[in-house]
Amino acid sequence: MRTFGFGVLCSLLGIALFGAGLSLATSEPLEEGFFKANQAYKEGRFQEACKEYEQLIKGGYKNGHLFYNLGNARFRLEELGRAILNYERARLFVPRDADLTFNLGYAREQTKDAVPESRSLVSLVFFWLESFSLNELFWGFAALNVLFWGTVLVRLFLRADWLYYTFMGLLAFWLIAGISFGLKWYQLETDDRAVILSEEVDVLAGPHSQDTVLFKLHAGTVVFQERTEDGWSLISLPEKKRGWLKSEVIETIMNSGHLGSL
Amino acid sequence: MFCFRTVAVFLLTLLLPVSANADISVRLSIDRTEVTLLDSVRLVVSISGTQSTKSKPVIRGLKEFTVSQGGTSSRLEIINGQVNATAEHTFFIQPQKVGAFEIGPAEVKIKGASLKSNTATLKVTKTPQNQSAARGPLFLQVSISSNEAYLEEQVIYTLKLYRAIKVNDLSLDLPEEEYLAFKQLGKPVEYQSRYGDGTYQVLEIRCALMPSKVGTHTIGPAKMTMTVFQPRQRSGRSLFDDPFFDGPFFGFSRGRPMTLSSEPLELEVRALPEENRPPDFSGLVGTFEMESQIEPSQVMVGESATLTVLVRGRGNVNRIPDLKLPELTESKVYADQPVFEMTPDDKGLAGTKTMKWAIVPEKDGPYQIPSLRISFFDTTNHQYDVATTRSHAISVLPSTGQDAEASIQPQKEIGAEGSTKQAIKQLGRDILPVHTSIKDLTRGTWTRPEGPVFWILMLGPIIVYAAAFCGLRFKKKSAQAKTAIRMKKAAKMFTRQCRQRELSSTGLAEAAKRYLNDRFELYLGAVTPDEAAEILISRGVDRATAHKFQSHMQRLEEDIYAGRGDSPCTIGQDMCDVVKQIEREVR
Repeated sequence: MRTFGFGVLCSLLGIALFGAGLSLATSEPLEEGFFKANQAYKEGRFQEACKEYEQLIKGGYKNGHLFYNLGNARFRLEELGRAILNYERARLFVPRDADLTFNLGYAREQTKDAVPESRSLVSLVFFWLESFSLNELFWGFAALNVLFWGTVLVRLFLRADWLYYTFMGLLAFWLIAGISFGLKWYQLETDDRAVILSEEVDVLAGPHSQDTVLFKLHAGTVVFQERTEDGWSLISLPEKKRGWLKSEVIETIMNSGHLGSL
Repeated sequence: MFCFRTVAVFLLTLLLPVSANADISVRLSIDRTEVTLLDSVRLVVSISGTQSTKSKPVIRGLKEFTVSQGGTSSRLEIINGQVNATAEHTFFIQPQKVGAFEIGPAEVKIKGASLKSNTATLKVTKTPQNQSAARGPLFLQVSISSNEAYLEEQVIYTLKLYRAIKVNDLSLDLPEEEYLAFKQLGKPVEYQSRYGDGTYQVLEIRCALMPSKVGTHTIGPAKMTMTVFQPRQRSGRSLFDDPFFDGPFFGFSRGRPMTLSSEPLELEVRALPEENRPPDFSGLVGTFEMESQIEPSQVMVGESATLTVLVRGRGNVNRIPDLKLPELTESKVYADQPVFEMTPDDKGLAGTKTMKWAIVPEKDGPYQIPSLRISFFDTTNHQYDVATTRSHAISVLPSTGQDAEASIQPQKEIGAEGSTKQAIKQLGRDILPVHTSIKDLTRGTWTRPEGPVFWILMLGPIIVYAAAFCGLRFKKKSAQAKTAIRMKKAAKMFTRQCRQRELSSTGLAEAAKRYLNDRFELYLGAVTPDEAAEILISRGVDRATAHKFQSHMQRLEEDIYAGRGDSPCTIGQDMCDVVKQIEREVR
């Protein structure tokens, strides 16, 4: 028995050391790239900074602060569309970051199109969803899940009043957290928001260059991409404005190339 | 409360003429600035500050016009508690001579004081040559201010609907040309005019036309769709053959839809001349001017002065560029977001762009703000021109001790506790810097909620609970099952014991007690014959059987107490029969 315990301990220690080694090995290029990119930004070489940040992101480091920094570099290059795109991506990771909120607000002020904000009933009722990332909601729900089922388990053996009230309170929180987590996940899975990247684009009545120009949109405007067809995207805006534009002039915020499948 | 409000409003209305007289102004306006000899112009003299229409205005500059009264009106508006009274005198004037005329000022005498209005300029042109031919009761006519224009020079496209009959539900489709952009100028104007021998009601729509490609452009026909009401034709005499029924309510038939098309026009668009083109040509075509001012012209070190530059013009105003202030040594410059305002009128597109910079000197001494310039192509002189601002000087004083304190003093507000606080002044705006801490990289990441950790956290607690629940249920069930088996086997066990050879009375009494305990889920240490009978009766056994069992138990008890407890017993078989009887009855 004692030999078995020692073996388990050694295995755990080995796994921990291997994990730490792996972490060190993977964090080195990240830190180096991050430092290089920040240095380039500091010295005004914004194009180089963009390249470095993008390399890190493409290398698998999905981090809100990297997207934020990339957004800043794009803003300095006067690429308003790409700046807002990256700020919006950063918001998925660090929704309550004060710097990000400020910069995104400032970048939005620079956009030319006045698009009325449309909020669904779900986002009005679950108003806190925007303030939490999916990860935060997941861990919150996971903790409540363990607590809730733990309380239910204890109630099998102990029927006390205080336990009943604890159970009822936890049940309410467990339901709210569970629905919030589910909704957030659904929102991200079905997020079809895209950002206009070109300075000015014509939105046409159909997916052909000869179709009637319905209206114009400018860099940084967030639209909803409904579907794509032969290099054209059907987009919509609040107030029932819809039309087609070339897919190359927009990029979705939940682009799988940048954020993975979620 | 309601009465009080009503009375207050009534009193206010009575007092109004008195209070309103305090600020009276006269304004003269005409509905168009360019007409032909056959058109009539609506002239309105508005007197704000009074509702009285008794004072008739005297209008100068109308010698060359035929003037007819169009009526008077007055109105009272209460907006956000502010009362505005206005009296309006309307006139229709028709020119008799070609030329440019200055109409006004209109002069009104109120309570002995003479008030004068502004003036308005009206350009009167000749009647077009082709007006001699009669054109019927309804037709569309279009014209452009010039058949030749420079690239991006605005041309005024005028569309007139002449009608001598009633029309309704008008809708207009302007021509759609690839390199010609139309922009409607203001609201449509309606007036009376003559064409050929007829008098028509004219609806005039003006648009600014902006060509974006050199060459000859054909402006396609404009189309106007409407419902036309033609005078009703009566065949014979009837009840309605009265002049009264020729009026507007009875004189027209039911409407029918009609679409009118205008004649196509041609526009020759010339390229802007290459000669004398400034290297910094902004692309503006039209007439433009610039104004600038610096406020204040004397500041302390670290304080800001605001430079305001205004570019005003008429033409392709949407191309007015955002100007950049040249680098200023030893000072910080913060640019404000430019404000662009387009003000189309009947002469075309006009607009202004206002740009502001906050200049914060870092050192004392005189500062010179250089002049700014915009080059444009002037369509009136057909040559390139430059609009410039004047250069400004700022005197910067050192920010030392009391001087600085004294200069800030006027901006300070005295707080509730006597402390002085200064309002925070926004000097500039920019994004916040990048995040450089390595710690940031460990936060703000996410992993897709999946994998063993996810499922353990989601389903683990439920599984643990379910396992505990099932375990408890199983435990309970197994205890119940054991009891049931014991109950089932109780009679069998008793019969087996009874069949043993040399079974003593004590053994049989013990077996009977065990039978009762097992059969009826009891945990009795000792059972008397009476208790046994009671138990059996309470469980549905017939009284006779119960008493039989009781008597056997009594006999066993007697044997035990008489010292024959260990001797073999003879009633074993009888008791077996009684137990079998009990089993039958209990079921």
